[in-house]
Amino acid sequence: MEQSVSKQQIRSYIIQSQEEEIKRISLELHEGVGQNLYSILTGLQFVESGLSQPHLKNYLHEMTQLIEKTIQEIRLLSVELHPPALTTLGLLPAIKSYIKLYTSTFGVLVDFESIGEEKPIQEQKSVAVFRVCQEALTNIAKHADTSNVKMGLIWKEEELRISIIDFGGGFVADELENNAVTLGIAAMKERMLLTGGQCVISSKIGEGTSVEISLPLLEGKES
Amino acid sequence: MRMTEIRENHGVMEVCDRLRKEVGCDFVALALQNEVGPDVRWHYASGNVNDKYKRITVRFGKGIAGKIISSGSPMMMSDFPKDIYGKVTDHPIMLAEKLISCYAVPLFFNGSPKGVLLIGKRVSYTFSKSEQEKVKESGEALEQLLRSHILGGGP
Repeated sequence: MEQSVSKQQIRSYIIQSQEEEIKRISLELHEGVGQNLYSILTGLQFVESGLSQPHLKNYLHEMTQLIEKTIQEIRLLSVELHPPALTTLGLLPAIKSYIKLYTSTFGVLVDFESIGEEKPIQEQKSVAVFRVCQEALTNIAKHADTSNVKMGLIWKEEELRISIIDFGGGFVADELENNAVTLGIAAMKERMLLTGGQCVISSKIGEGTSVEISLPLLEGKES
Repeated sequence: MRMTEIRENHGVMEVCDRLRKEVGCDFVALALQNEVGPDVRWHYASGNVNDKYKRITVRFGKGIAGKIISSGSPMMMSDFPKDIYGKVTDHPIMLAEKLISCYAVPLFFNGSPKGVLLIGKRVSYTFSKSEQEKVKESGEALEQLLRSHILGGGP
C-alpha cells in the first residue's frame, strides 16, 4: 500500500514538474520574446510613417506584417502551452478561451454550456482537468470525423462534472490499433485519478464517443 | 475581397474546379490572407466533405499552408501522417478533409506569399511533375484574378 502511494506521489511530482516547466516557457515566450517583438513592431511602424519613398515604405510594411504574424504565433504558442486564464481567471474562462482557439484551429463547433456557479479549484487540479478536456477535444479533431461537439460543465457543491460528447464515428476500445490513442486515453484516466477524480470514456460505432470527467470539490476546499 | 465574394467569384471557382478535374484529385482549396490583419483563412474549396475549412484560421508557419506562407515555397505530403514535420494537429485541413496526400503552392501578391492553392487526395499519392506544374499554372491564374482585390496588391 505504502509503495503504491509513493508511486502515485512520484507520478504527481513528475507531472507537476513538467507543468511548471511548460508554464515557465509559456510565460517567457509571452512576456519576454513577445514583448520584445512588440517593441520592434512599434519601432518599425514609427520608421514607416516617416518614410516618403514608396518602395521603402512598401518594404517596411511587409516587414511589419511579418513581425505581426510572428507576434500572433508566439502568443498562440504561449496560450497553447499554458493558458494564462487558468492561473488568473480559473478553469471556466480557460476552457471557454480554449474552445474559441479550438474552433478556429480545427473548424469543429463546440456547443458549450456551464450550469451552476463556478467553484475555486486548486491550480494543480484545474490544470489536470484542463489537460484532460484538451486531450478529449484534440482526439475528436484527429479521429472522430465530426463537425459538432457538445460540452457541458455542471458545478455542484461537492463535485464538478464535465461531459464531452461528439457525434462522430465512434470506436470499439478493444479494436484500437493505434498505440498513441490507447496511451492517450489511459493517460487521461490516470491524470484524473491522481486528482482524486475520474474519467470514463464510452463509445459506440456510428453513435460517437462520450468522455465523462468528475472532480471532487469539497476535498479541494479542505486542503 | 471577402470570403463570400470569393466563393461567388466564378473565375476563381472555375480555376479550382478545372484543376480538380484535370489532376483528378479529391480536393482543391484556396487560402488567402484577410483584408485586415495577418490572419489567413480558407476562402474557397472544391470537393470538400464538410464545411470545417470555412472556420479554420491558418497558423503562420504551421501546417502545409502555414509553412508555405512563411517560406514562399511549394510543398508536398505523400502519406499523411507519416514523415510529417510537427504534430498531426498542426495540419488541420488534412484532418478536417481526411486527406492523406497533398501538394500546395504559394500565391504571391506584391512580391510576398499571401495565399496558398492546395490540392489533395484521400489516398496515399505522390504528385507528378506535370501535376505540380498544373497547380503552379492555376496558382498564377488565381494571382491574376485576385491581384486587384488583395490588400497591398495594387491594381
